Amino acid sequence: MAFYEVYSHPVLVRYRSSVCTKATLFLVVVLCLTYIAPLLVAYRSQGFWIKRNIYEEQPVVRFQYQTLLVAATSLQGDYVAWSTFPHLNNMLGSNLRIPAVSVREEDQNQDGKLDLLTFQLQLPLKADEQVYSVQLLLTFSYQLFRMSTVVMQSLAFVQHSSPVPGAKLFISGDLRLQQRTPLPHWGLYNIYNVSVIDGSSPFASAYDLTNVMRSYQERNLTTVLSSPTPVWTVGRAAGSPFELYAEIRYPLEIIRYPFNKNSEGIESVF
Amino acid sequence: MPVEQNSKYSFTDIYTSTGPTTTPTQSFYRPTEQPPAAAEPLPVSGSIHSPVAGADRLCPCDENTAVCDINCCCDRVCNEEVALFTSCSISAVRSGSKQLCSQDVAQYTLWTTVDGYSELQSSVQKETNYDILCIQAQNRYDGLSHPSPRLPTDSNFDSLFSQFVSFIFGSELSDEVLPAKLQTLTGYQFGDVLATAEQSGQRGMFYLPAPGITADCVNNSPAAFLKDQSSRCSQHVALDGDCSSLRALRMDTYTNIQLFAGKNADAPVVPVDVASVILQSTEGTQTELAVSEGVNLLPVLITTTLCANVVLKVVYVIKYNSAGEVENGSVSLVLGFISEAEVSLQQEFQVMYIQGDVGGRAVHYNGNPGYVVGMPLITEDQDCLQGPHQRSPILFGLDYVSGCTLRLEDITNCSLVSQLILDVLRGPNSPQYVASFGNSPLENVLDWVPVKTNINPTAAQSCNIPLSIHLEIEWTKYGSLVNPQAQIVNIREVIETNRSSLALLSGGTSILPIRGSVAFIPVSAAALPGYRATPSINAKLPFDFFFPFV
Repeated sequence: MAFYEVYSHPVLVRYRSSVCTKATLFLVVVLCLTYIAPLLVAYRSQGFWIKRNIYEEQPVVRFQYQTLLVAATSLQGDYVAWSTFPHLNNMLGSNLRIPAVSVREEDQNQDGKLDLLTFQLQLPLKADEQVYSVQLLLTFSYQLFRMSTVVMQSLAFVQHSSPVPGAKLFISGDLRLQQRTPLPHWGLYNIYNVSVIDGSSPFASAYDLTNVMRSYQERNLTTVLSSPTPVWTVGRAAGSPFELYAEIRYPLEIIRYPFNKNSEGIESVF
Repeated sequence: MPVEQNSKYSFTDIYTSTGPTTTPTQSFYRPTEQPPAAAEPLPVSGSIHSPVAGADRLCPCDENTAVCDINCCCDRVCNEEVALFTSCSISAVRSGSKQLCSQDVAQYTLWTTVDGYSELQSSVQKETNYDILCIQAQNRYDGLSHPSPRLPTDSNFDSLFSQFVSFIFGSELSDEVLPAKLQTLTGYQFGDVLATAEQSGQRGMFYLPAPGITADCVNNSPAAFLKDQSSRCSQHVALDGDCSSLRALRMDTYTNIQLFAGKNADAPVVPVDVASVILQSTEGTQTELAVSEGVNLLPVLITTTLCANVVLKVVYVIKYNSAGEVENGSVSLVLGFISEAEVSLQQEFQVMYIQGDVGGRAVHYNGNPGYVVGMPLITEDQDCLQGPHQRSPILFGLDYVSGCTLRLEDITNCSLVSQLILDVLRGPNSPQYVASFGNSPLENVLDWVPVKTNINPTAAQSCNIPLSIHLEIEWTKYGSLVNPQAQIVNIREVIETNRSSLALLSGGTSILPIRGSVAFIPVSAAALPGYRATPSINAKLPFDFFFPFV
């Protein structure tokens, strides 16, 4: 004959014990392990809650049309230079040589953010001059919007020298963001929205590249031109200008930021 | 729902016909909303043409009108030239976006005939997009097109310009301002450019040459008020022309200066007096010239490779008062020789500002009270451990080593040589005491640490010659933990002499290296925790333990 369930009810079993027994102790230990141990484990393994995170964003970069160029024209240390700063140009005196510059910024993927800067420079040279080294400084306006609004002015510096006089220097690289500390996750961050070179200053020290680079590298947020392979072309024809061709891309950047405001800059004391 | 209708109508006489009329579907991507015409465009500008839509009419590679573009198959003027084409640079022309569900595409294909010439076949096909999220009909003009630009008019030109122009060439600041702007304030402020009275009666600037983007001197870089500045830069000199004519080498360039006491136009003029002129010989020895009125030593070309009375160093001391007015200025110069026909001459320029209307002599501290890293040590004459000849000051906190080589050919009088070398190592007027703090006053005897000397006269057989001097400076952190001050507690001079015979030491070359070094040794004890009461166990969870709940 087949059985079937007529009725069912739960059974409560009570285990009783007095307070001072091994069973009580066991119960307390189990309770502790259930609630406290996972918390400790979680805390030591950097927590349930993320304190640092990263995001990806393509910056809004604009070339600021500020340029400084120094080219060594002999092995004895003669040089010619040019900049977009009138005070500096006045100070250069006979070393001032005005090149022909053409600039184009392109938005290749039509997303409203510029992707590529094409910078072309032709430096006219005298008959007895050759180019042995080039220093080029370009300034950029750099903005990020996704988490905090970051507005800063930054630079790209190219320095190349060769024992053989050149006809052309080709640079193709990325303008990379360098972060020393995480960026805030909200608000306006514009403490570096200051000129990289103070173009209104009449003092020669304001244009000293050592001073410029020292104060720039003290910043926690900078950009650097990563151009691993500049191409130095030799064999300049007499009478032809020295050519500098730079392609600078504005790539997607990975940006570190603190997940919550409280954990910023405060280390764990546990 | 997109229905595939591969209605294909080939036509061979594409060049004579005006092309097929647009199929009804083309009205989809015709803009239903025409760009709003600007109210009052500027007189020269007309309205902007709306883009052509028909796929068969578009030809991106047609760059020359009335001339056939090679390999451009959609160029309508290519009739006979088609036979010479090798390929089509553009094989399909689309009129709208790729996301449309169906649209016309003009296809151009080349095929070779039996006799080797090319023949063009063109067709307009309806292309169907099978994406489920394709666009069936587009009834908004601005959905897939750029919005029509606002036409500039007289009224909105400035606002349009400022909206779109961000950075351009030629946006630099114009070059004027400088020679101190006339203001109501009479005195100069920090960073102001000092004004000078030129002989022509105009206002000029007080220049102090400094290195700019290279190490070369920028001679027209101004000096800033209250900014003490010291710079070294090189001046390119070719003697035959420059010796007497180059302004940067002439003494009167730096002495013939009339400073305006203040910024305003009627400020009194303060001359810069010559405080001292030091003449430096070609060997480097210096003699001070008696300063007489109207002294002017101009550069003279003595031989073709020797130019005398060339300015090597210029030091200005400018006294000012609390109102920011220049009280007086003085200049000290070092003149010397150039002994090469063409040379990059190093010149040194310095300007110091001293407040004149404070009582007593201002004493420069090297820390208050503790020494600051990088400041020179104070010796008893409030001067640094620096002699005139190429000796560097001992800077607090910076360990240092330097030296020279000494050629000892024949030692007849060993004790004399030994004493001479010891004098060279210690330098002239070597200090006996060093201040323990950066601001130790001379009167306070207990603040001065004696320099302990420790000569190691090791028992060498023949001759003891000092080979190295080593200064061991022990310093400690003094005061509170939060703001510790550096204090020198002990200073020891260790002089080592040779232990073996000199010939053995120099390896037969008779050249001995002589070395001087400085070491700073921190001797401060580690800070100890001190408990006033018995410590209790501070069992506290970290403050962010319950984050984010609390």
